[in-house]
Amino acid sequence: MAAASRAVTLPAVVEELLSEMAAAVRESARVPDEHLLLLKFVFGSSALQALDLVDRQSITLISSPSGRHVYQVLGSSGKTYTCLASCHYCSCPAFAFSVLRKSDSLLCKHLLAVYLSQVMGTCQQLSVSDKQLTDILLMKKNQEA
Amino acid sequence: MAETLKRVLSPGRAAGPREDMAAEVGPPLLLLGGPGSGKTALLFAAALEAAGEGRGPVLFLTRRPLQSLPRRTPAALDPLRLQKIRFQYPPSTHDLLQLLCSAHEARGPAPFLLLLDGLEEYLAEDPEPQEAAYLAALLLDTAAHFSHQVGPGRGCGLLVALQTQEEGDSGDPLQLSLLQRYFPAQCWLQPVAPGSGQRCFRACLEPGGLGPRAEWRVAFQPDGEMTITPWPTQAGDPSSNQGPSSGGQP
Repeated sequence: MAAASRAVTLPAVVEELLSEMAAAVRESARVPDEHLLLLKFVFGSSALQALDLVDRQSITLISSPSGRHVYQVLGSSGKTYTCLASCHYCSCPAFAFSVLRKSDSLLCKHLLAVYLSQVMGTCQQLSVSDKQLTDILLMKKNQEA
Repeated sequence: MAETLKRVLSPGRAAGPREDMAAEVGPPLLLLGGPGSGKTALLFAAALEAAGEGRGPVLFLTRRPLQSLPRRTPAALDPLRLQKIRFQYPPSTHDLLQLLCSAHEARGPAPFLLLLDGLEEYLAEDPEPQEAAYLAALLLDTAAHFSHQVGPGRGCGLLVALQTQEEGDSGDPLQLSLLQRYFPAQCWLQPVAPGSGQRCFRACLEPGGLGPRAEWRVAFQPDGEMTITPWPTQAGDPSSNQGPSSGGQP
């Protein structure tokens, strides 16, 4: 599964790493240790958390007959977060805080998990109707438990 | 859509082969300026320019219908071009979000240019960074979906106007830097000292690393007509820019 083109790109080193990982996966169906190390270097603890999300098949690519698509990630807390496919946006609080407000991180672990699952070709797939996709994109906030 | 805006600002460049230009969509572009700096006029001119290319419809989103159509030349108000511009007027942020999220449900040909005027009004409803990012990201996602629909090798551009404070500085630096994450290209409109009865602005296009910075002089006559000329390239001499109107060639 080729990486979706993004209107807003990651820094060149990250883009390069992701495409090298994709090439390695195509060749040998696994990610070399050097790539994992580099991932950890760039993303810190988010890298391990993201890889864990990928391992647990927590990422779902949701598409509708229109061709539009979006990702949902089942977080470790059991909450589902919605990530846009075309640019960096995640509905999780860490994105709002670490990425947007403090500019500490490039990505939250959910977005990183989405990109990793694209590279590694492991992603659940779900088809919904056009109307249901609208609702998912609207990210209607659920009642807090 | 940096390329369309550049074509509006430099009509002489349209002499080049159409196919080359049609293929370039350019990054999403944010047009910034204080009140009355000509953003709506430029945005509308870009919409007309794009509509005239015959590649399909253009979608123009704004809170209120334009009070009067900004004028450039009589030819620009060709009714065939106007027909290709679909205007929609989402009255609130909620309506705009609904429109963007359901854009894939619409039938008919996808637009190849999406324009939004007055982003600041929609952002004002909820100034939380996450909400601003959500709106910006949805605009990009909608344009990406239209790009997918118009087909390979082409795409849908995105051009958004944001009003800033009167005196050059935008009000909220955090919000602006957040928007710049999503809009790598920006065009700033700054007022310059007016000549006889005109209002003049300096349009400064920063294509976000994908080309050189470029500048133009945008002047509005008392009757509303807009003229655009390249900014004179003499290094930083403000007095040379105060002469009357068009043809500011060095």
